[in-house]
Amino acid sequence: MICQINFPSEWINASALEKALRGDREPHGKNSYEVRFLFPVGCKIMVDAAVRLLSLINQLDYCSRRVRLEFEEGEIGTMGYLNRMGFFDCLSKNVDVLPGWPTYSGASMYGGSNTRLVEIARISPEARDLTLPTRLADAVVRSRKRRKGTRGIKWAAWTIFAELIDNIFSHSQTPLDGYAALQVYPKGESIMVAVSDSGLGIMETLRPALATESPARNRLSDIDLLVEIFREGISRHGTGRGCGLKGSAAKAIKYNADLDVRLPMNRVLLVPGQEGYRPNTAYCYANLPLVWGTHICFTFHLA
Amino acid sequence: MNENAVVIKLRDFMNSPEGWGRDQGREVHRRLIDFVEANPGVMIFKVSLEGVERVDISFASETVVELARRYRGSKGFCFIDIDDPDMVENWDAAASRKDQPIMVWEKGKGRVLGVAPSQGNLAAFKFALGRPRTRAAEFAIAEEKMTIANASTKFKQLCEQGFLLRRDDVAESGGVEYVYSRIG
Repeated sequence: MICQINFPSEWINASALEKALRGDREPHGKNSYEVRFLFPVGCKIMVDAAVRLLSLINQLDYCSRRVRLEFEEGEIGTMGYLNRMGFFDCLSKNVDVLPGWPTYSGASMYGGSNTRLVEIARISPEARDLTLPTRLADAVVRSRKRRKGTRGIKWAAWTIFAELIDNIFSHSQTPLDGYAALQVYPKGESIMVAVSDSGLGIMETLRPALATESPARNRLSDIDLLVEIFREGISRHGTGRGCGLKGSAAKAIKYNADLDVRLPMNRVLLVPGQEGYRPNTAYCYANLPLVWGTHICFTFHLA
Repeated sequence: MNENAVVIKLRDFMNSPEGWGRDQGREVHRRLIDFVEANPGVMIFKVSLEGVERVDISFASETVVELARRYRGSKGFCFIDIDDPDMVENWDAAASRKDQPIMVWEKGKGRVLGVAPSQGNLAAFKFALGRPRTRAAEFAIAEEKMTIANASTKFKQLCEQGFLLRRDDVAESGGVEYVYSRIG
């Protein structure tokens, strides 16, 4: 069966991506032997969706499904933006791209010259790029052009990237690469920081340890447990570990950042509250189409 | 000034000015332990952060914080040369996570990161901070309605929780008396 995902002709953020995946579409479903993604004229992919889509497509290819991306506008449309982001540099070469693969890498050609984005960086278990968190954080500084408070936010961005990316190296247990990217939105007033991996997912790595060490916590739903993780910093290695996500959350909350976490079949949006992040109860989703891994996006509001 | 103290520069144990992640942290931790073990007589290690540009919370947790936790009660570790509030925040978060207090000294004034002493022990802790060494009896004299036994208990708790160090000394009576010292 061909699983076809049609994007609408509008800005596609993570929420719109989920909407497009809904319905009877199950890209990882056992009946899907081919998955097609259709990008019509006017469709514009945002960084949080781009990074998740990249992970999903590479996952599908990894389990031998045929994947095809159809860009109605060709390179003048969102395909050009994705090229500029380095999407195609990270995409599996087995994927069919219509009208055709880009003839050159936009990211390689222009990389680093746009102050408002940091190209998708590969997080590879084989070669740890030690400069990655700094490059991502430097982009934050470049985009803000010496505005007040930039130093603090550079530190926050650096810490968040460092923790999230280190988590991928430590926990995700997958041969597939993870990805990180950053996009500054108009006038530098909001920054989207997206990190994505195709590993087991936070819950799958955490729950086996919780089953013995903290059965009460293990009985929490995925969403409630996720809130606990960001609030209390629980780790499968017991107390004393697991400070990464909690530390990231503490930094992000200072900048009123929203937090979007996609797990294999759940998604939750967290908003800053008095005691740390709390779920935005209007936006908790369960039983979503399977996407391996953990996908986190912080959106900083600087205004 | 505590004569039994040595300054170490964390940067000397790191591969680069940035400390990132658990793996790097563990590697640096091993090097730090080697240094500590090579200086058996030293009780206090003042960790200078000069030259360290950034650390994330995982790295902080695996290095100096873990070191302090490991040697709690027998050796103390504190920070000097730290003027970056964002850096302090990450060390604070790491220390808090491990429930391990760590002193930081700036311009002669000390404060504790990570964990605060309980309300009941706070006065005793502040008293000890104000001098390089102290005995329970001194605090009992200085503080109204404080018995030596009560003071002893407070200092003992502060030592067990990692806020102070102590060593044995001989009391005037000939018995054992503890001398408590601040860390740094």
